[in-house]
Amino acid sequence: METLGLMGAGIGAGIVTIGAGMGIGRLAAAAVESIARQPEAANDIRGNMILTAAFIEGVALIGQIVCLLIVLNAN
Amino acid sequence: MTGKYTLLLILSLLISSLLFSQESHHEDSHGEKEEFKIGDMIMHHVLDSHDWHITDIPKGNGEYTPVALHLPWIFYSSRDGVVFSSTHGLEEKGYVAHHDKLYALKEGAHVDHTHSEGHSEVHLDDHWIEENTDHAVSIWDFSLTKTSLQMIIIGILLVLTFGAVAKGYSRNDGQAPKGIQSFFEPIIMFIRDDVAKPFLGDNTYRFLPYLLTLFFFIWFSNLLGLTPFNSNIAGNISVTAALALLSMIMINWNGSKDYWKHIFLAPGLPKFLLPLMVIVEFIGVLTKPFALAIRLFANISAGHFMVLSMVGMLFIMGKGGESVVGATAISPISIGFTAGIFLLEMIVAVIQAFIFTLLTAAFLGMAMESHDHHEAHH
Repeated sequence: METLGLMGAGIGAGIVTIGAGMGIGRLAAAAVESIARQPEAANDIRGNMILTAAFIEGVALIGQIVCLLIVLNAN
Repeated sequence: MTGKYTLLLILSLLISSLLFSQESHHEDSHGEKEEFKIGDMIMHHVLDSHDWHITDIPKGNGEYTPVALHLPWIFYSSRDGVVFSSTHGLEEKGYVAHHDKLYALKEGAHVDHTHSEGHSEVHLDDHWIEENTDHAVSIWDFSLTKTSLQMIIIGILLVLTFGAVAKGYSRNDGQAPKGIQSFFEPIIMFIRDDVAKPFLGDNTYRFLPYLLTLFFFIWFSNLLGLTPFNSNIAGNISVTAALALLSMIMINWNGSKDYWKHIFLAPGLPKFLLPLMVIVEFIGVLTKPFALAIRLFANISAGHFMVLSMVGMLFIMGKGGESVVGATAISPISIGFTAGIFLLEMIVAVIQAFIFTLLTAAFLGMAMESHDHHEAHH
């Protein structure tokens, strides 16, 4: 059972990474596109992009920490 | 040129894998050797401790003399009250440290020192601890640990650095900045104009000292955490939690009337949803600092995990010193990746300090906003 738990932690870490990658990827794509359309608003857009990326990252990291805790508590 | 390097890389991989298979075959004859556990090594490096371990000097007969700074133990125990003790004086006072945790010894229990020569910590097993310690004695450990000492060092460093910067401003008043002052001026200006002002507006100067302290404290601690012999304090959840708690107090203390109204009595909400929304909004108040703490902790720890895993590759391939060729073969990869991650971590150090400061400023700005326009709707 313990190995199954470890496997779950590994798979979980992977899924979290997919989610965060998709989220930040879409965010960056949209931000770069809007900067290209309206270069004079680049500073505002960049600020908001970093802020939102930090939110997505925060959720992803909480997921990663949960996976890490599973591994650390297994042994 | 690139082709040559690729060839070298593939060759070293091939050689190392060859050696590895040979070595694992060789291993069977004496299986009692203590195995190198990379997880334990990483945790030992990342966690807080009561010893500031610097290095080990080999004695020549396979043993090592550790060079370490033993930090004092300061704790409250329900048996003896407040106790100050050095690491070596612990046993006289009836306590023993095991895996950095303190236990009170039972009457007449003796610690076996036969295997502990040259080591600061005697090797005890959990079973021994279970049998020989008094669990009725509760201990609160307030010792100055490695992390707290490192925090004080960073505090002193900050005071020295920014004392010099401030002195520069009084000396070069009305003139161009000089020396260390000209290095920090653009950074301070960046925090003021791009982090604080967009969110705080007129209140910028009220909160700028806090935001600048936060930024430079986190940045300095992250950078120092990357240098040898230093402890990475932002990779300790207690430190980041304390920083986030400060921000949380700051945000809620300065919350406007509208901020609290939106939490407890959100306007325009159907009455039956109110109890549910109060809970949701209140959880929101707690998640913001929680996410701040976790983000900083996880980012910095992840970097250190990566660096230590890459360094650990040397020991895995080198069989803990047995196979010199294996270690040599893996060293280009190990050192290359470590250097790369170090460069990345230097960027992460400043980005994480920036994000922590930015989010604190953003939450502060949100909490202090008063929305007069909302009242006009209903």
